[in-house]
Amino acid sequence: MKITGYRLEKFTQQLDRAIGDSNYPAGDDLMDMAILWIDTDEGITGMAPAGNDAIASLFHVIEGKDPRGVVGLWKDMVDWVHKGNNEGAVNDAIAAIDVALWDLKAKIADEPLWQTLGAREGRAKAYASDIGYNLSDEELHAFYTSMADHGVDGGKIKVGLNMDDDLRRIGIMRDAFRKVKDRPYLMIDSNEYWSPKQAIRYINQIEEHFEIFWAEEPARRWDFDGLRQVSRNVSAAVASGENLNDIGQMYPLISQQAIDVANVGVGHSGITGARQVSNMCYAYEIPVTMMNCSANFMSHLAAALPNHNMMEVVDPGREGAFESWDNHIEDGWIVMGNKPGLGIEVSEEKLKAMQAVDFGRKPGFPFPRREGAGLWIKDIEPGEVSWK
Amino acid sequence: MKITGYAITLYEFPLNRRMGDANSPSGRIRGASNVLELFTDEGITGVSFGGGGAGPQIKSMVEGMLMGEDPRRVTGLWKRMVDRAFKAGHDGVVNDAIAVLDVALWDIKAKANDEPLWKTLGGSNPKVHAYASGLDSPLSDDDIEDWYGMMASDWGFKGGKLKVGLDQDADLRRIGRMKKGLERATDKPLLYIDANEVWNPKMAIRKVREMEEQFDIAWVEEPARRWDFLGLRRISDQIKAPVCAGENLDSLGDFLPYFHNRSADVVQVSHGMTGITCALQLADAAYGFELPITLGGSPGNMNAQLAPSIPNFLTLEAQNAEPDDGVMTSDIKIVDGWAICGDQPGTGVSFDPEALAQKKVEKVSASAGPSPFGRRPGSGLWDNPPSQEEAAAAATGVNGEHFVPAHGSKTQ
Repeated sequence: MKITGYRLEKFTQQLDRAIGDSNYPAGDDLMDMAILWIDTDEGITGMAPAGNDAIASLFHVIEGKDPRGVVGLWKDMVDWVHKGNNEGAVNDAIAAIDVALWDLKAKIADEPLWQTLGAREGRAKAYASDIGYNLSDEELHAFYTSMADHGVDGGKIKVGLNMDDDLRRIGIMRDAFRKVKDRPYLMIDSNEYWSPKQAIRYINQIEEHFEIFWAEEPARRWDFDGLRQVSRNVSAAVASGENLNDIGQMYPLISQQAIDVANVGVGHSGITGARQVSNMCYAYEIPVTMMNCSANFMSHLAAALPNHNMMEVVDPGREGAFESWDNHIEDGWIVMGNKPGLGIEVSEEKLKAMQAVDFGRKPGFPFPRREGAGLWIKDIEPGEVSWK
Repeated sequence: MKITGYAITLYEFPLNRRMGDANSPSGRIRGASNVLELFTDEGITGVSFGGGGAGPQIKSMVEGMLMGEDPRRVTGLWKRMVDRAFKAGHDGVVNDAIAVLDVALWDIKAKANDEPLWKTLGGSNPKVHAYASGLDSPLSDDDIEDWYGMMASDWGFKGGKLKVGLDQDADLRRIGRMKKGLERATDKPLLYIDANEVWNPKMAIRKVREMEEQFDIAWVEEPARRWDFLGLRRISDQIKAPVCAGENLDSLGDFLPYFHNRSADVVQVSHGMTGITCALQLADAAYGFELPITLGGSPGNMNAQLAPSIPNFLTLEAQNAEPDDGVMTSDIKIVDGWAICGDQPGTGVSFDPEALAQKKVEKVSASAGPSPFGRRPGSGLWDNPPSQEEAAAAATGVNGEHFVPAHGSKTQ
């Protein structure tokens, strides 16, 4: 079997709701997205809910090759980009190709990807994540309650800009999950807005009121000294890693014991790269948590990892181009079905309809870094979000 | 697909040369192995070699947790087996059982896809760098040059690994003879040496430094105890050759001190080390640390199947170019010094049922032992070169008497 061609479709997704974090609390409800297909000479096509124009510069590396050799092809691509390294847009392109190749590999074996990856069961524990600094108290309550109704027993909330607001909002999250668990898992995420010492002060204050399961990105992504310093001075686990590109960048965080939980995801250079990072963490007894993604497709890998803790579920409505996807939340777990590959079916009609819409503006996501980050805290200004 | 049962068959065979290391320089003349067959309801059978002493543990794992399971879900089943062995740890014979079962499960997974294992694992290039390993302590100097010369001229090997450690003058001479043999294939052979934990760190530093005055050593293997991450690190800091270690560790967790202290420059993954699932975890972790992976000797060179999907793969140990026991068959061919994985579905390593029936035994005889070798008196303490009796036994080759060294009876 040989790889013969690819197709990349880009579109702007209208989300069900805006998403925002400490860098951009107002958030945005538009998101640029893409779908990649990789074709073979035997009529089987693999897809990835990802991709960008850098694929054009990489495709020759895999063209004509057997798609089942996905791990070797990953290495071929990474070696090809050696000088500029596996970073930025190239990193995203390699990740998209890798996902599409894994989808192909599972479809060739006529089995769901979780089984191709060796998982015994097609399920991964879930936690709810708001990405919702823009959400009002009522909206937060509704979001976490809807997740609790599906048995989810913990959540993560965006924090970092105002202690009083954050304490109130963490309380709303906790209360929503108490119907499932007396001591629900409470995670906070400041998206690199603080300096290490700010983080230590801020998290310690929060910990006077709440038991925090992990604090995510309390310092810059690469600051292994700072992350380690935070970890040694708070009770919560320190989680980080989602903005790093590959196992090489994760190396200092793991070897210096700077993190207690590793955020892994498709951004770590695809399924192949995320599995590498997870296995390295396994050697250090560091649990991993899978980052959110459209249709929760990375749950396939999460199910197969021996040290996976729970996966982030946001569900803001990024599946507008899909006819169906083969998973649902049940008793707090993402439960996958038996459809071959990732289990995602694209609707050409919906895709075309979305591509026809002119929103007249560019999406604000991914968000730029907020003023004051790492230096002083710029509070949410009146009118910046609907609730203030 | 469901697992429905299993069978294990022990067999014994004459070796094609006397094999031994620093712990047993007289070596042994017969080998023994074990075939595990794991049956499924769809007629696909997983085959794996090893686990000869782990019969009860294999029975317990299969009957206790694998029966009725889908073998394609192998990494999840691996985790269940490891978790089941939790309290005592997945070490020793339990580890052997998990390893041999894991290989059989991967064999089924690849066969279910009708593809070779290297492809199931995601490899794209089936050509694997390999070196010749003589397990050659019992061989004479002339035999050393002949054997490596044969591996170079007949099979194209350009690297060799010599067992060393008991007699420095002999080792210096024999490295030169190995080199001369390998020069039939290349003017720059890769010279590996293996001391099998017979030295202490300072002995290792002195001996390897002296060797390095004459030879460029491509790695020194197990120059100190397997768990001595401090000693291994000290050796690495004081010699030029990379330190290669790990073959006697059992699991990913055992490697944490190596990784964290950069004790090994080359991470060695052995065939019995909790199977393919664990080997791939180790390879990923080593990749994060920029450490190369080498795969140890394996039945029919089966480990070659893993190499194409290991991003930082260095080289594969080949103790023979092809199976020599009259029972095993292998789809992994040595061509011009490379191990080439074929297209046969599964691991590509199987057996001839008639030959297996002929060579089947109930119990391994003494002449197939001691295997694995016991530790030699004096190891890590003083020099204990081969005795006259050991040397005489070694000199008789494979047609001579089996000699059991009087372990524990020697004094300084």
